[in-house]
Amino acid sequence: MRAFWPIFKRELFAFWVTPLAWVLACVFLVVQGLHFSVLVKSFAETSSIDSDQTPIQAFFGNTVLLYLILFLLVPPMTMRLFAEERRAGTIESLMTAPVAAPAVVLAKYAAALVTYAAMWAPTILYVVILQRSGFVDWHVVGASYLGVMFVGAGYLALGLLMSAVTKSQFIALVLTALVLLVLFILGIGEFVTRDGTMLHDVCSYVSVWAQMNDFASGVVDSRRLVWDGTLVVLPLFLTARVVDSWRWT
Amino acid sequence: MISVSKLVKRYGDLVAVDGLSFEVGKGEIVGFLGPNGAGKSTTLRILAGFLGQTSGKATVCGHDVAADSLEARRSIGYMPEAVPLYPEMRVIEYLAFRAELKNVPRAKRAAAIDAAMEKAGVADRATSLIGKLSKGYRQRVGLADALVSSPPLLILDEPTAGLDPNQIRDVRKVLREIGKEHTVLLSTHILSEVESTCSRAIVIAKGKLVAQGTIAELRKLRRSPALVLVVRGDAQKAESTLAELDVFSKIGVEADGEVATIRCAWKKKADAAENTERAVAGLVAAGLAIRSAAPEQSTLEDVFAELTAS
Repeated sequence: MRAFWPIFKRELFAFWVTPLAWVLACVFLVVQGLHFSVLVKSFAETSSIDSDQTPIQAFFGNTVLLYLILFLLVPPMTMRLFAEERRAGTIESLMTAPVAAPAVVLAKYAAALVTYAAMWAPTILYVVILQRSGFVDWHVVGASYLGVMFVGAGYLALGLLMSAVTKSQFIALVLTALVLLVLFILGIGEFVTRDGTMLHDVCSYVSVWAQMNDFASGVVDSRRLVWDGTLVVLPLFLTARVVDSWRWT
Repeated sequence: MISVSKLVKRYGDLVAVDGLSFEVGKGEIVGFLGPNGAGKSTTLRILAGFLGQTSGKATVCGHDVAADSLEARRSIGYMPEAVPLYPEMRVIEYLAFRAELKNVPRAKRAAAIDAAMEKAGVADRATSLIGKLSKGYRQRVGLADALVSSPPLLILDEPTAGLDPNQIRDVRKVLREIGKEHTVLLSTHILSEVESTCSRAIVIAKGKLVAQGTIAELRKLRRSPALVLVVRGDAQKAESTLAELDVFSKIGVEADGEVATIRCAWKKKADAAENTERAVAGLVAAGLAIRSAAPEQSTLEDVFAELTAS
């Protein structure tokens, strides 16, 4: 695991020294900023007594914008992690250094996760702005960010796996987007399947939509965290196996 | 330092390395020689721990490359064939990353990086972006990377490929320097490269060992196939004079006015040095003027033809 730090640092460097992370962060913050201002405006125009929602709830839950932004953000973040190293051949220098596959996988994943968190960090300012003009329940805020980080963590792990199965960044991007889309559609299945059926239960269990609604209301359900954790651990494990398998092709 | 026995690597139906066995001792500079597609890179990649072998055994510095991969990798400085580097990093940043990755202790890192850059001749480009470096400098960065952890063994895959003659001369000079402190295994398909830098050569073709030996032994294999004479005078007389010596298997004459170029292929076992003297003396005695007498350079392909035929 000694190889973790140097690779982690290099990946962070690669994220932020190239324009990609800055462009993504820009787009992300512009969209989120617009989203937030539209929300606050509409809440200001309606009487708060009539509404059973807070702006925080609306920002993190009950909105398709959150998934749309993750759908646009995660695939380009993870696409180059392994695909580019294999296309450029740098994977050969990397894997002939005394490094173990799990350390390489975890370091790349951690760098992506930190970058993802860094992109969300400025949005805390929105909450600070809200607090200056009203009441903010920081528990709900905490739960919301926890939800966003857990959902993102799973998506990034899936993206990392997709980046390891192909040498083309573009194919990695498309595959990641497809997997995320399938997961989202499975979640939507909650609304189109009949209540009480097995399929309905599965769909509501894996639904990001339902999860974010829960978390945005301050309900941290451990079953959701287990599912998100599965989406992190399983892809990372598979990625480590894929990295090992390159020796035998 | 390196011990390879009955190494086999298959890619599906293709057998890239076919029962290869050889040894490399401490302090040697060994040239790993073969035509393109002979399995050189595959063998080196197995030794460097990048590929797994189908069967057979390989150890470097006493560590099995498959069972004890991390320890084996720790004792090797490996430079891959195309020298893949991260273009967005500066030379010194890249070497710092590589040094940390290869467990060079923090306190010794700066000195190790400086020493590696000095040896590889890249110190003057320390703060350049790798993406902006010329091919020659990229090659040197790769070399500095291989050297940065001062490994006992260096494995270099075609260190002079794609360089211009000046750069090749520089790299060879660096290699000879490096060879004083490290054991080196370098692959190439250029015979003269092995002659100028290595103490011993291992020749492979189609994944099999074809020959190995010192450079002197290899030179013998590289005996000139023919003597080429340029003479002025009666070409027919020259041809008959040469034929009388009974050391040439074939004599070809190309006349151009009164100057003729004569290519005389040696018979097997004919002593080239002694018979060249006899041929020249004979021609002079026959009244011909000699403009040049030179051995035809044999190519690696000729050597291979000779090696694989026997």
